Amino acid sequence: MSDHVVEHDYHILPPSPWPFLAGLAAAVWGTGMVIFFAGLHARDGASPMKEFFFSRGMDMWGDAKVSSGGWLILLLGVLFGAYVMFGWWRDVAREAEVGDHTPVVQIGLRYGMIMFIMQEVMFFVGWFWMFFEFGLFRKVRAAWNGDVTENPQAYLDSLGTNAGGNTIHSIGAWNLPFINTLILLLSGTTVTWAHHALLKDDRKSASTGLGLTVLLGFFFIAVQAVEYREAFVNRMTHGFWLDSNIYGSTFFFATGFHGLHVLIGAIFLFVIWIRLMRGQMSSKQHFGFEAAAWYWHFVDVVWLFLFTFVYVAFAL
Amino acid sequence: MVAGYSDTDIHNYDGKPKFFARWFFSTNHKDIGTLYLIFAIVSGLIGGYLSFMMRMELMEPGMQVFENPHVFSMYATMHGLLMIFFLVMPAVIGGFGNWFVPLMIGAPDMAFPRMNNLSFWLLPTALICLIISMFLPGAPSGNGFAGGWVMYPPLSTSGHPGPAFDFVIIGLLAAGFSSIFGAINFITTIFNMRAPGMTMHKMPLLAWSAMVTSFLLLLSLPVLAAALFMLFTDRNAGTAFFDPAGGGDPEMFQHLFWFFGHPEVYIMILIPFGIVSHIISTFSRKPIFGYLGMAYAMVAIGVVGFIVWAHHMYTVGMDVDLKAYFMAATLIIAVPTGVKVFSWLATMWGGSIRFAIPMQWALAFIFLFVIGGVTGVALAAPLFDTAVHDTYFVVAHFHYVLSMGAVFGIFAGFTYWFGKMSGYLYNKYLAAAHFWFFFIGVNMVFFPQHMLGINGMPRRIADYPDEFAQWNQISSYGAIVTLVGVAFFFAWVIEAFIVKRPAGDNYWGEGANTLEWTLSSPPPYHQFSKLPHVD
Amino acid sequence: MQFSRVMTRVLTAGGLGALNLSVTAHAFAENRNGPTDGSFGLQRSVTPVMDFIGKFYHWGLLPLMVGIVATVTLLLLFIMIRFREKANPIPSKTTHHVGLELAWTLIPVVILFCLAIPGLKGLYFMDVVQDEEMTIKVTGNTWYWEYSYPDLLDKVDTITSTIVDIPMEEKHGANGKGLTHAQIVKIIEARPAGEPRLNGRPYLLSTDAPLVVPVDTTIKVLVTSNTNTHAFSVPQFGVKIDAVPGRINETWFKVKEEGTFNGQCSEICGVNHSFMPIEVKVVSKEAFKAWVDNGGVFPAKYSQLNLGGTKTAALK
Ligand code: HEA
Ligand code: HEA
Ligand code: CUA
Ligand SMILES: [Cu+2]
Repeated sequence: MSDHVVEHDYHILPPSPWPFLAGLAAAVWGTGMVIFFAGLHARDGASPMKEFFFSRGMDMWGDAKVSSGGWLILLLGVLFGAYVMFGWWRDVAREAEVGDHTPVVQIGLRYGMIMFIMQEVMFFVGWFWMFFEFGLFRKVRAAWNGDVTENPQAYLDSLGTNAGGNTIHSIGAWNLPFINTLILLLSGTTVTWAHHALLKDDRKSASTGLGLTVLLGFFFIAVQAVEYREAFVNRMTHGFWLDSNIYGSTFFFATGFHGLHVLIGAIFLFVIWIRLMRGQMSSKQHFGFEAAAWYWHFVDVVWLFLFTFVYVAFAL
Repeated sequence: MVAGYSDTDIHNYDGKPKFFARWFFSTNHKDIGTLYLIFAIVSGLIGGYLSFMMRMELMEPGMQVFENPHVFSMYATMHGLLMIFFLVMPAVIGGFGNWFVPLMIGAPDMAFPRMNNLSFWLLPTALICLIISMFLPGAPSGNGFAGGWVMYPPLSTSGHPGPAFDFVIIGLLAAGFSSIFGAINFITTIFNMRAPGMTMHKMPLLAWSAMVTSFLLLLSLPVLAAALFMLFTDRNAGTAFFDPAGGGDPEMFQHLFWFFGHPEVYIMILIPFGIVSHIISTFSRKPIFGYLGMAYAMVAIGVVGFIVWAHHMYTVGMDVDLKAYFMAATLIIAVPTGVKVFSWLATMWGGSIRFAIPMQWALAFIFLFVIGGVTGVALAAPLFDTAVHDTYFVVAHFHYVLSMGAVFGIFAGFTYWFGKMSGYLYNKYLAAAHFWFFFIGVNMVFFPQHMLGINGMPRRIADYPDEFAQWNQISSYGAIVTLVGVAFFFAWVIEAFIVKRPAGDNYWGEGANTLEWTLSSPPPYHQFSKLPHVD
Repeated sequence: MQFSRVMTRVLTAGGLGALNLSVTAHAFAENRNGPTDGSFGLQRSVTPVMDFIGKFYHWGLLPLMVGIVATVTLLLLFIMIRFREKANPIPSKTTHHVGLELAWTLIPVVILFCLAIPGLKGLYFMDVVQDEEMTIKVTGNTWYWEYSYPDLLDKVDTITSTIVDIPMEEKHGANGKGLTHAQIVKIIEARPAGEPRLNGRPYLLSTDAPLVVPVDTTIKVLVTSNTNTHAFSVPQFGVKIDAVPGRINETWFKVKEEGTFNGQCSEICGVNHSFMPIEVKVVSKEAFKAWVDNGGVFPAKYSQLNLGGTKTAALK
């Protein structure tokens, strides 16, 4: 045992149940994912997810009933996970309150958040890589690609009805997506406004700015939902849905994962907003706020890339 | 309110908690490191068992052990995944990294002690997912996933419709997130918590290696995560990422996988590099030769490691100019690695060398890693790779760098720090037996595989033409010798805990001069409450 | 296989490169086809590409590997003896030597440069199809190969080439212990007329219908797959190229002598990956023409070329 007088400002923590519970939650969640999407029985190549969406016939135990168990386990996993996150971050907030987040610890938190965002960036690099390969450089690829030089028509056909040329009926860049772009840009300014207000201890306009940002965030998601719904109802005629062809797949997963991150960011900002209202943010110490803002800007930038390439450049 | 602890606890907390809280709710880098090591040993045993069964099957032509070739391939696949994701990575990063990075840079703990524990507890979940997968329907031909640890589609999509592979995906995602959180933790710790006076350029090489490793993890794993998601949706949501019928291309998965996969191999070897550097310097009683060169060589390896991935794909039908580029880029990596090897030699030069057990492992590491390295350089040339790609020559190559590089590094570190971690000294003779049986064993297993590969024996086959019989038989006998070695490993560990020879603060004496040796063995539950000053 | 023989192998296995070279040279002398038990070297080359690979390996890579390993090992041993504690009680403290550090950075660079030049020459020679005189199409299936002759579609129809083997179940004796290879071969040879036999051809390498090509002819090979990824590989040709669904890869070979040459599928493709060999029968130009005109069967004149007629030297 070392001497009990601690002469450094680092953050030594008591044991915490959350990580262990998080491990369990991950197990439930993962099992739920598999049972819900794949089921536990051997199956042929057919995709239950597809059946689920279009014929509502995902069966888990081989008989053609709507899946029963998968739902529940997945839901439990998600709730369990949410509970753990809530408890965990509530502890963090408390520790911040009682002053465990000394200057040096705050620097650490900054490093942590930056690294986390770097990690997120690389995640999107993966999706953009897919998109560039197939969405933008498809002609270049074709030139390398033996079977294209062999017989190009078959290749184009293989890409699905209207995916070969630029005739693909994707979503026009200049209506809803453009509105979304404006929304996000605006939200970027409001969050900055809130930050400056907070720095001047102007609690009132800070909360207004932040509140606006949150609203804009959810507005963005609403708009995207509309956009997706259109694509979904027209999927048969337009042949543009995540399982129509490679363009549908890359499009919906690149934008979809971005949408997910918008949701996370918005919730993050919302929590910060509540803490702000509760007076837990000062002009001196408000790292939570900054983290949320950084994350929001990251989401913003990703969208700008998506808009330029997936919507605009692709339609060229 | 943290379950069961009052505010004052939360405030300035010290002292060992009770058993359950200590090992399940831990926020102590040394306890978590220990958990990681135990976890690695368990996975090592399972992975070792799988490989032993494979060797028994390959002892002679014909099917002896396995009724079904699918099961053999499933063993090979699981062996690869377990050894890489659940033995080497947890051992070097989670185990030695957790234990000694904070000690060596003079920090009281990791930057995010709670997240540190999350990194660990995601692993049992991941391991269980993989184990479960072995018993669930995979392909029509049998249970479990048998597509190789590289998981190429379409074999991993339409080829394995059953839920087994979905569990593998979930497991690898969990393991991936565990490593990402770990990486964030290490980078923050190293940047933010070095003891006063310890500049980056005074930082021990283990810390350097852990830092580079963390960046590799941080930047490569998310891409794997994306690729795994794509597999998952291709399987279950009807997407067409890797499905030619929808305009996708299976080759793209290989690009995404190896963009992670190649950095991954350096993730596994860099920390052993660091460990070996310390051991060499300790037992030569000489400071490391060309310290800065050593540190920046690792940085260089890390950077170049990101632009060579397609050297695993020379035969997929890539554009010839791409092959030429990837060959050139790959060859470059030999240079910084050479700098390290020669600097180790130079460190020993003029030293006064003691051949303690850790030093034996370290010396063997250099010898064997160089063998594995030069075969790697041979593979880097597409011309030659066309002859030996997907043959046992590749298997020999990567076992020389993994089963002998990484694993020897692990054993070196384990014997070097065993006293520091447990407080007990091991029995020299048992430990020596472990070394010699293991050394002879693995060489017997893998050296002949070079010949098999050169002569054209493909990998991942359950039965082979009898022209390959002799080398395979030697290889299989080698596996038995290796097994004896592993037995001696457990023998000396258990013996040490029974006999309990107390270890002094610095039982290696002069030469062992990093910070952990200034502490008691085992170190106090919370070290450096008064930060050390480095000058 | 009796232990003594194995032990001799163990001893030879210890022998490093120098021995290695000589033994391979010796393995080359006797011109047998296919793999050689206990061989140290590549299979005998029968194409220009494989010649190139062989030279590159024997005069480039092998000396390089042996040389570097030897250098490092000898240095290591010398240091271990010269600077062991007894011999050198007081360690020096030198930690820098610019000259040395430059040397061991630059010398490898030079070596690698020398290695790269022939490596690249060979790469382009291997990869760029010389003006072809004939094209064959190879298609991987689970788990057999299909060979077709696009230029001769009207004359020869697609060859379906499956392994000559016994069913998996039968490979296990009643006692559950697996049959030895010798027993399996006996069963196959004892089959009733009409069923495929080994006829002395190597086990696991022989098919019921080999690919037939003319000697001294530049043949362009188009490789693709119907299911899963396979790899078309014939070691003695220096040919290995993946068969990927949805794309057509191409490579080429020009065989210098007649005979039967074997390879194995070289990309994991599922349960029978071990059991989809490649068998190429290279015949004289006349014989090939006769074979084509006769609709893919050798006329009486060349009957000895019919299946199993030629014994590969690979059998002992
Ligand atoms: C710890 C893991 C590790 C390490 C360190 C390495 C190191 C290297 N590897 Fe390896 N490799 C793997 C693990 C590793 N590899 C694995 C797991 C696979 C197979 C994956 C699969 O398909 O399942 C693989 C496969 C693999 C391939 C693909 C083969 C194929 O599938 O056809 C290639 C090709 O270029 C390659 C190259 C290299 C090179 C050039 C190095 C270099 O970093 C080596 C550098 C070291 C040296 C060169 C020795 C020391 C240097 C000197 C003494 C200086 C003088 C030397 C010279 C001048 C040459 N490796
Ligand atoms: C680190 C990685 C690692 C390690 C250590 C090993 C170790 C061994 N491997 Fe393997 N192997 C792979 C990674 C590894 N392997 C990979 C990636 C593949 C490719 C899979 C694929 O084809 O997809 C492969 C494939 C592979 C094959 C080819 C299968 C095929 O292609 O058909 C064979 C065949 O002989 C084989 C054998 C062995 C043997 C006999 C060992 C022996 O050395 C095992 C001896 C036992 C141990 C080394 C464990 C001892 C360690 C501990 C008990 C823990 C100690 C921990 C602490 C002290 C903290 N392995
Ligand atoms: Cu076909 Cu492997
Ligand atoms: Cu690599």
